[in-house]
Amino acid sequence: MISLLTEKQNELYIRFKKYVNERVIPFASEWDCNEEIPRESIHEIGKLGYLGSLIPTEYGGQNWDVVTFGLLNEAVGRGTAALADLLTIQGMISITLLKWGTVEQKSSWLRLLAEGKIIGAFALTEPGAGSNIKAIKTQLYKDGNKYRLNGNKRWISYGQIADLFLVFGKSGDESLACLLPKDSPGLEVESIKNMMGFKAAKMAQLNFNNIEIPYENIIGKPGFALSMIAPFGLHYGRISTACSALGLLRACYEESISYASQRQVYGKSIGNRGMLQTLLTRMGTDLRAASLLCYSACRTEDAHLSEAFEDVLMAKYFTSRAVVNAASDAVQIHGASGCNESSPVARYYRDSKIFEIIEGTTQIYEKILGKTFLDKLNEAETVIS
Amino acid sequence: MEKLSANTINEKIRSFIINSVKIPDLSSDDNLFETGIVNSLFAIQMMTFLEKTFSIRVTTDDLLMENFKSVNSATSFVLQKKNS
Repeated sequence: MISLLTEKQNELYIRFKKYVNERVIPFASEWDCNEEIPRESIHEIGKLGYLGSLIPTEYGGQNWDVVTFGLLNEAVGRGTAALADLLTIQGMISITLLKWGTVEQKSSWLRLLAEGKIIGAFALTEPGAGSNIKAIKTQLYKDGNKYRLNGNKRWISYGQIADLFLVFGKSGDESLACLLPKDSPGLEVESIKNMMGFKAAKMAQLNFNNIEIPYENIIGKPGFALSMIAPFGLHYGRISTACSALGLLRACYEESISYASQRQVYGKSIGNRGMLQTLLTRMGTDLRAASLLCYSACRTEDAHLSEAFEDVLMAKYFTSRAVVNAASDAVQIHGASGCNESSPVARYYRDSKIFEIIEGTTQIYEKILGKTFLDKLNEAETVIS
Repeated sequence: MEKLSANTINEKIRSFIINSVKIPDLSSDDNLFETGIVNSLFAIQMMTFLEKTFSIRVTTDDLLMENFKSVNSATSFVLQKKNS
């Protein structure tokens, strides 16, 4: 894929990889074990400008293209999925605010998000509403010239440390989105511990107890939160997640190739004994395919084409499934040492499964893409006949 | 960009919807959302199509169902954006 990049994209990719090699990979296991990324490391990624990569420079961002955003996610995902998840979440709330926020909302919050001075969280999922976002029950009822927020959100990445939440709910029959600062009276944040993967992503449950929401904090207009506001953020979330999964897939491949070439059995490396070549071939080919799918999705998004939605769905679908296989095979290649947390592949194995769940499950993607492909087949048959 | 007539805009929007959701025909006044012609992902796809094809920018002020509910309403919306 390197050969497809522009000179600037390639330069930035090298810079991202250097940062990850020096400042992320040496600490990734410790962060995972402690279920926490230290504040100074979050400040560091913010100071580098990586939390505002897509945001225009007038709001303190880098104004990078989507391909570069994808490369950043891949590079960080190769180090640790939990930190890549921060890029995803911060990107989702920032890009949503950029598109749908008022001038005042943007000037109040966007620079702080882009420069990493505050952390955002995308509060959409509820105990009874995951992939089916229309099932959300959180209520925003009108109370004079303000709203009152009641309900719960669950599985909110970085909810434990977020300074600002983008909350989705319903006002009567209409969907509505609002900004909620963390110090709002009536907001309770409960830590969710013991996640299988993404352990340092500070997962939380949020409880809203009759919180006053001023009208100035409403994003967009009533009736559009679930059709326009949330899907816009989720689209970028899928791009980020697909590319982060690609990074983890690359990590699985690199660790496996390295181990297979060094580990000796009966005087020969296990890679040269022919026993593992099926696993390595599948992993290497999936890596190449995932890389091209992610690149293509980022390119169509850069071109602002409506096809980007399907391309992004395919990239996330393929890459999240491929990384689960790759992580499983990486453990297999490492044998007993891969089953111990002293090897990074144990963490890769736990993290990989999460990619099939977040930003839409594999089954939801199959439902959407399956119908899309069937429609195309029917269309082709109509033309042929 | 060349100045497009209402008919041209109407036909481009109709073609996009028919090709996207694979329906044989579409009346210019069919309500896309109430009749279930489109799914929840489609609203954003349509917005992207309108922005790219007609070089406009959809903003919060434009979030009105009247602007997107049918081929005719989207045509009027594009014309209004182009003339504003």
